[in-house]
Amino acid sequence: MKRFFTMLPDITRSLFRRPVTENYPAVQSETPERLRGALKWDPSTCTGCGLCVMDCPAEALELTVLDRKAKRFVMVYHVDRCTFCGQCVMSCKQGSIVMNNQSWELAALDRNSFATIFGAPEDVKEALANKPEDGAAKSE
Amino acid sequence: MPDTAASKRFTVPIGPQHPALKEPGHFEFTVDGEIVTNAYVRLGYAHRGIEKAAESRNWVQNLYLLERVCGICSHIHGFAYSLAVERLANIEAPPRAQAIRVIVAELERIHSHLLWMGVSAHEAGFDTLFMYSWRDRETIMDVLEGLTGNRVNYSANVLGGVKFDVTPTQADIIRKGLTFLEERTKHYLDVIMHDTMFLQRTRGIGVMTRSQAEVMGALGPTARASNVQRDLRVEAPYAAYKDFPVQMVLDTRGDLEARFEVRINELFESYRLINQILDNLPEGELNVRVPRRIPAGEMIVRLEAPRGEVFYFIKSNGTDKLERLKVRTPTICNMTSVVRLSVGHQLADVPMILAGIDPCFSCNDRTVQIRQADGGAQPNGLSSLMSWEELRQYAIRKYEAR
Repeated sequence: MKRFFTMLPDITRSLFRRPVTENYPAVQSETPERLRGALKWDPSTCTGCGLCVMDCPAEALELTVLDRKAKRFVMVYHVDRCTFCGQCVMSCKQGSIVMNNQSWELAALDRNSFATIFGAPEDVKEALANKPEDGAAKSE
Repeated sequence: MPDTAASKRFTVPIGPQHPALKEPGHFEFTVDGEIVTNAYVRLGYAHRGIEKAAESRNWVQNLYLLERVCGICSHIHGFAYSLAVERLANIEAPPRAQAIRVIVAELERIHSHLLWMGVSAHEAGFDTLFMYSWRDRETIMDVLEGLTGNRVNYSANVLGGVKFDVTPTQADIIRKGLTFLEERTKHYLDVIMHDTMFLQRTRGIGVMTRSQAEVMGALGPTARASNVQRDLRVEAPYAAYKDFPVQMVLDTRGDLEARFEVRINELFESYRLINQILDNLPEGELNVRVPRRIPAGEMIVRLEAPRGEVFYFIKSNGTDKLERLKVRTPTICNMTSVVRLSVGHQLADVPMILAGIDPCFSCNDRTVQIRQADGGAQPNGLSSLMSWEELRQYAIRKYEAR
């Protein structure tokens, strides 16, 4: 049996409802627990194996091993290249890499702010001395 | 286009850049008044060289490259690639991982079919259905985001298993979303089956008989709407489909209305299947270790994507990189039917017939053949094909001669 205006009830109901679109950025909805945001790296558990760098499909990670025994590592994370696939988290046997579900508002006006450098300040200085092109990157 | 009497009539070119098409594809429709008398399609504007790029990445990196073959059915590509690599390495993912892969594949099917329903309703000028079906599709996008961590490229697969578990809390969120969607889908089925104006755009339009579908090699829901029993989840069950069988949804009419009904009825089947798997999720590990070097060999994997059969061929030479990859997505097989079925219809029906196969242009643009400028030196009258090395040398010569 054919009918006209089959979706009229939907439209009528919607007249008395608030819009379903989110009022971002005024109102921020809760981020899912598993959301893959910018990553965090913990040098204390890292062994410097480099599997995360090898497996990263976007070449977003650079690991400089200064001294494996003394755990002197410097990690440069290029968030602009990152595809947030989470493979580095899977590849890391030590669990040194986690993806932070809260840091997902990553737009920036300055290109240099996309590189995050992890590591002890003196290690970063030493590592960057050999890599002058990353000198402008911000340190954390 | 051949220089025949038909081509001397008025020809309407559409694309490659055209506001009505979301992706680049070139169509030429010869019209006699309003009726299409000849149709021609030229694809290949969105070729991205993914197969060649895959040869320079390692096995793990390729998983994420191939997930980006298609933005809508991204999981099925990662799924197919993982299965192929696991079979080459003689490894089987644990049962729980296989079940989770199927859950994500079915959630993806729901999202893809709802998206398609909105797009084709929009092509028909029924924007109310488009808006409301896309509003409800957000439910499934939120479920996928909560489950996998991303709305589009879920990255659920890892070589040897999956990345995440489905916890009881997650299962409840999925069930709740599916219950809501089931109610809405019943309403949409009612709309597409009974709305007078919408039926004028779908009933009896683009009729493809069973024999036509078989000859043109149609795949997926497009073929099933013409009563071709072709569904790899039933014919050659893979992963958890062996333990959780699927009922094939068929229709005999073969027109656009049948394609709508087949896809919407597949939604109900997906809801049922996901609920069944969630209730009987196998216990165990989530992934197993896969070696970094995959043994030499060749492997073919075929999976049922939302649009039809996805074909993967992988050749390994025993190193940490693959030697050759071939991907074939369902749109290329269904595109023939658009060209054939448009003839005899009004030009205004063509966007609906095109949308009816659920096309995805950049997925199917894959192979490029370049011929030498030797003016048909081959015995068959065609110019000879240029090899990769010849093409490279040609490019170098051209560069140096600037």
